[in-house]
Amino acid sequence: MTHWTLRLPFISLRLSARGSAVALALALMIAAGALLALRLGTYPLVAGTWVAILGGGGSDIEQMILLDHRLPRILTALGAGACFGLSGAMFQTMLRNPLASPDVIGFNAGASCGALVAIITAGSAATGGTVLLGALLGAFCTAVLVVGLAWRNGLQAERLVLIGLGGGFALAALSDLLLSRTDARTAADMTKWLIGTLNARDWQDVTLVWAGLALLSPVLVWLHFPLARLGLPEDLASGLGLRLSPLRLTITALGIVLATLAVCSAGPLPFVAFAAGPIARSLLRNGQPALLGASAIGALLVLAADTAARMIVTLHLPAGVFTALIGGPVMIWLLVTQLRKGKL
Amino acid sequence: MTLITTTASRPQRKRIPDRHLWLLLALVGLALLSCLSLRLGLRPIGWNEIWASFVAYSPETANHIVIQQMRLPRLLAAWLGGAALATSGMLIQGLTRNPLADPGLLGINAGAALGVILCIFLLGISDPAAFVWVAMAGGLVSTILVFLLGGGQRGSNLRLILAGAALSALFLALGRSLLLVSQRSLDVYRFWVLGGLDGIEMQTIFALLPIFGFGAALALISAFHLNAMILGEDTARGLGLRTAGTRTLAVAAILCLCAATVSMAGPIAFVGLVVPHMARRFSGADMRWCTLFSALLGAGLLMLADLVGRLPFFGGNMQAGVMVALIGGPAFVWLLRRNERGLR
Repeated sequence: MTHWTLRLPFISLRLSARGSAVALALALMIAAGALLALRLGTYPLVAGTWVAILGGGGSDIEQMILLDHRLPRILTALGAGACFGLSGAMFQTMLRNPLASPDVIGFNAGASCGALVAIITAGSAATGGTVLLGALLGAFCTAVLVVGLAWRNGLQAERLVLIGLGGGFALAALSDLLLSRTDARTAADMTKWLIGTLNARDWQDVTLVWAGLALLSPVLVWLHFPLARLGLPEDLASGLGLRLSPLRLTITALGIVLATLAVCSAGPLPFVAFAAGPIARSLLRNGQPALLGASAIGALLVLAADTAARMIVTLHLPAGVFTALIGGPVMIWLLVTQLRKGKL
Repeated sequence: MTLITTTASRPQRKRIPDRHLWLLLALVGLALLSCLSLRLGLRPIGWNEIWASFVAYSPETANHIVIQQMRLPRLLAAWLGGAALATSGMLIQGLTRNPLADPGLLGINAGAALGVILCIFLLGISDPAAFVWVAMAGGLVSTILVFLLGGGQRGSNLRLILAGAALSALFLALGRSLLLVSQRSLDVYRFWVLGGLDGIEMQTIFALLPIFGFGAALALISAFHLNAMILGEDTARGLGLRTAGTRTLAVAAILCLCAATVSMAGPIAFVGLVVPHMARRFSGADMRWCTLFSALLGAGLLMLADLVGRLPFFGGNMQAGVMVALIGGPAFVWLLRRNERGLR
């Protein structure tokens, strides 16, 4: 495979032909997708007027549609998707298990359960802020509890997975219990939240998710190196000089924060965190954790799902339905093509 | 995965009496639970009357009808369903060597759910008795698809896992979008999906009994082979195991057991994924013992969940699928936290 080395005064980078091509293609697809999503919708907004509207021109209704509805929604979708993809890829690499995405090992269940408790206790006074607070609190308590219970002479991978699994199941059952004990209207609200939707996002959500991403990205860049080595067998990794427990704790904390950011801004969209990592890895094929690739795939998936949900207005389907409808075939297609080439 | 292997390195001789003791305890516990399960409920019935309903059944006595037509089928369904789910969970975890593998991963539950939804949506059938065979057919079709997509007999664990997860997510999303479109389907479906043991008729159990029996026989045979399989596929092949045949055999066993359970009681989570881990704590690493203990523990847990859910405290109608995670989740975490020396 072709490689180039980029040498700058203080840093050198190795670029592979395949990696660069994939990165370019993904970036183009995200840009095109975002522009298309801005254009599509029941109210026609011609591309030429966007600049004028952004500069303060256009009619009031055009201002409102572009600035208060479409733009925040698209930005939230991209940010939440990136967070889901990153968090999933991190957990899958650290725990060396393709099934270990945050929704499988129970961290999303904590956020969902917290949000449900908030919806019930606040009753009719429930606003986006209360639900958000509930989800944050739920996720935080679950994370502390799971990591605390799994900690014994350091943090072992399978202990963390299994304890997370048990806790996640119990919390999901608790959510079901709450759901069956409330009146029909609250239950309908809660079901919608549990599927995950990007309806009525505002700039508050955009700031939350993007500020989180911006704050965490330096840590992610730093973590990329040890994370790639955590895929090795445990003895080998510690033989290379990695301090496993502190590293695992950092990655777990970061992964949970990312997953929580995503759940708080877009609801627990299924399948994104699970699928983004494997799709990115099978595109790049360099044996790395592919964090950047996973975040791009995640962003693309959520954007596509939300746009699809927006286009089929008559049915009022939430975006959470489309993530698997779009992501599933992509993954199956990759599996089939790789079967033909004899890879994997 | 280390969970499976660490116990193997311990000296065998010490644990064998333990294992027999645990087996005895489990059998006694199951017998006690079965008796209690007949006795307790919204209407407590005395031992004499339970005995009379077996030896001198009279259709005029209300209590006899409750015992013979409601509690006995439930008890049998809990036995069969719990044992089948936990056994197939153990098989798939041994086959894929992944502690997070769940029998639902082969697409059985998702396929069965889609089958039921299509049946309601297209044919307008709303009789739960008809769902048994539709769910069975759906599970069969989707498992064969997952198996082929996972590379068939030549496939790898990773492929099987990814194919199963992608296809399950796709089927669930398809089903969910159909439900969101059609309110009528939702009204029928939402009772099926809760996964409970109430309303199961003796007839259904007898009709499914051959499938359970066939699955159990296949499971027994594959448990012998999987002992080599958990060492890794290459080692297993080196030991003379035909891995392709074992894979097919185990998948067939899981298919029979799970398809029969899901068509009888709807999708029940938790048992297949977590009970094998609990069982391993008592049984050691030998797959034959693991499978036996899984079956007993699964049956016991589902029975206990059904029993507790029926008590007046929970309103007498809490679904077994929900209760099993509420009871089992904390129990599992406690089991993991317990000092390992005390148990092993």
